[in-house]
Amino acid sequence: MLLEIFDPKAAPRPIGIDLGTTNSIVARVRDDAPVVIADCNGAWLIPSAVHFDKKGTVMVGEDAMRLAAVDPSSTIVSVKRLMGRGAADPETLRLGTFDFVQAASPEDAKTVRFRAGGRTLTPVEVSAEILRALKKIAEDELQRVGGAVITVPAYFDDAQRQATKDAGRLAGLDVLRLLNEPTAAALAYGLEKKQNGLFAVYDLGGGTFDVTILRLDDGVFEVKSTGGDSALGGDDMDRALANQLLPKILGSDDVANAAPELVRLALDSARKIKHALTDAVEVEVELPVRGDAPAPRFHLTRDQFDALVKPLVDRTGVACRRALRDAGVKPGELDGVILVGGSTRVPLVKTFVAELFGKTPLDDIDPEKVVALGAAIQANVLAGSGSADDVLLLDVLPLSLGIETMGGVAEKILPRNTTIPTGAKQVFTTYADNQTGFDLHVVQGERELAVDCRSLARFTLKGIPPMPAGMARLEVTFTVDVDGLLAVKARELTTQIEQKIDVKPSYGLSDEQVEEMLLAALDHGEGDLAARRLIEERVEAERVVHATKKALAADASLLVEGERADIDAQLASLEKVMAGTSAGAIHAAVELLDASTKAWAGRRMDRAIAAAIAGKRVDSVETSVSEARGVEAHLEDHGKS
Amino acid sequence: MQSPFEVLEIEPRFDLDPAALEARHKELSRALHPDRYAGRPASERRMALSKAIEVNEAYRMLRDPIKRAEAVARSRAIPVGETSEPKPDPELLMEMMEAREDLADAGKSKDAKKVESLAASMRAREATVLASLAKAFDAKDDPKILALLGELRYVRRYVDETDALIELFENG
Repeated sequence: MLLEIFDPKAAPRPIGIDLGTTNSIVARVRDDAPVVIADCNGAWLIPSAVHFDKKGTVMVGEDAMRLAAVDPSSTIVSVKRLMGRGAADPETLRLGTFDFVQAASPEDAKTVRFRAGGRTLTPVEVSAEILRALKKIAEDELQRVGGAVITVPAYFDDAQRQATKDAGRLAGLDVLRLLNEPTAAALAYGLEKKQNGLFAVYDLGGGTFDVTILRLDDGVFEVKSTGGDSALGGDDMDRALANQLLPKILGSDDVANAAPELVRLALDSARKIKHALTDAVEVEVELPVRGDAPAPRFHLTRDQFDALVKPLVDRTGVACRRALRDAGVKPGELDGVILVGGSTRVPLVKTFVAELFGKTPLDDIDPEKVVALGAAIQANVLAGSGSADDVLLLDVLPLSLGIETMGGVAEKILPRNTTIPTGAKQVFTTYADNQTGFDLHVVQGERELAVDCRSLARFTLKGIPPMPAGMARLEVTFTVDVDGLLAVKARELTTQIEQKIDVKPSYGLSDEQVEEMLLAALDHGEGDLAARRLIEERVEAERVVHATKKALAADASLLVEGERADIDAQLASLEKVMAGTSAGAIHAAVELLDASTKAWAGRRMDRAIAAAIAGKRVDSVETSVSEARGVEAHLEDHGKS
Repeated sequence: MQSPFEVLEIEPRFDLDPAALEARHKELSRALHPDRYAGRPASERRMALSKAIEVNEAYRMLRDPIKRAEAVARSRAIPVGETSEPKPDPELLMEMMEAREDLADAGKSKDAKKVESLAASMRAREATVLASLAKAFDAKDDPKILALLGELRYVRRYVDETDALIELFENG
């Protein structure tokens, strides 16, 4: 099994994954064009449903979906809506068929848990099962899967993103990047149409809504603003309609006590009616009932359906207008509007978008496939195997980051729509004599009060040397990387002591919990932990060797005397230990090689900057080696070590 | 600490051409964005990240007229910041107070049209202040620069409040 999956002879190929609320898709680039990958039955649209049976068997996709009707509490659907959410979150308490587990402690309440097939599960584990199934589909076609780009709603907050990344890791994927869904869609469109301009992407999926305004300029996709609602989508249309169907299916108004099977039936019927009304202007269906009672008939016109879902569609308008305002763009200035997500098939949505933006929206790339296709393109670029070397995505932070100050006010440190990666430094001082600790609360959102924003993390800065009040100066650095994930560092400025901080995320799983789950996943036949570490170290080593050789071929002229011999020696010793079985030795050799190339890497970066500014090709720029400052100087400038 | 102009390697001036600024940001992003370093060794990836953060931060500052004005002033050793700037003109204070009362009234009566029109006139005023500020920078008229910068801060805060109100109305 292990040999088949990690066939060393097959070249690893990057994949793009659209991990959707209702359906998921895996795609890859073949002959320079992105294509979706189908499973052995020819299906490429994989329902995001996971069934857990009592024997410990896990089923994903169409098979699980079928079981959802008969065994709803052991079948998890729309798990994406629960990613990064706490047990007490209102979203978890809405109409659903899950068997939620009461949180036993505040620590436990940081993530939703439900029981299915005798197991207690978190959304991260369920999503990992979906990802594992997609990885398997890709492996059947590609033999060996390399890095993966996983898409997330642009409006996902830090906790939801972290949960998605954890799920990827748990599924055994090398997650190259989390990519925002509307940006992925724009990438697929932009490369096909080769048209520059200002675009709006309207993405209404099964459970999330995003709107993104971006400019495409010769391969650079610059997001100007983004907005949305991470709990609004086609699912909500189904729920609105199911609320009407349920009393008829039950034959009574006692909806609150309906059996989960019947709720599931009502939701499925609602979805079928919604789909039918995409083409038909009215439908008449026979509703399913339990037992042999006569099946009630249900008649619905498209106008009636439109009236039912209009409040939901209107909610998307609020986010669209705000995104336009934030970008400083008027609808008339847009060159095009792109429709993404299965829910944009609803005719009312199409007319709404056309009216709002004043132009006929584009949907000539399948709105259901387009995100996965864009993810595959980006995975290819990041894996370095793409010819699309000129593609660059500049994305933004979707929600402001702030810290709670005195009086519970959320002070913004990074406003929404800031281009990422980004960072901010904030200096704090002590308020009591000999104070040695300092509490900080990081929140995300636009509201004035911290309590109304989403709590991201709490942490305490410890080990401040005893000083009179106001003397210690604590500099806290917040960094948001290209995945939109936050990291925090702190140091005391008068002593220059780097503070050890223990960031406690308000939601989600701790690193230890993810490690435990990784261990538990061993039952899935992925070898033991040591083997897994070895594989991870080898993958990283391969990457470094490849990158170093490529750089040596391109930039040998920037090497100073003795450097080449040193690098060659480190390369040789790394390649030697890579053939062995010691993960630790590989790790150490990678670090030694890293150290030997540091100064040279700094010179290469300086030259790349000079070349970019001069607008010239790299090889025509003269930068003398002696002028270059090297990586140490760069890192020192930015307070990194 | 480098100034945003130094980071982007452009001449410090207030009336920057927005298109040229955007182009420079793109040039540097092409060279520095972490995605460009995806397959590189860890030290190089770390360096690209911190450099890209610096470039994005400089870009953000220079797009904001207030931060841009402050950066130009600092490059000329003019002391700026809310504590070191002179006290605002009492006439301006009175005027802004009245404008705020109008806005508060429109907010209370949920008069979206009124808020929009107050926002529009304050935006027009912002444009005038920006133009005067560019002239003052050219003329190296330091007291004028500081007075206009103070006015700009009031105008900006007002416009932000109108935006917040409009959003509040939209959310119902």
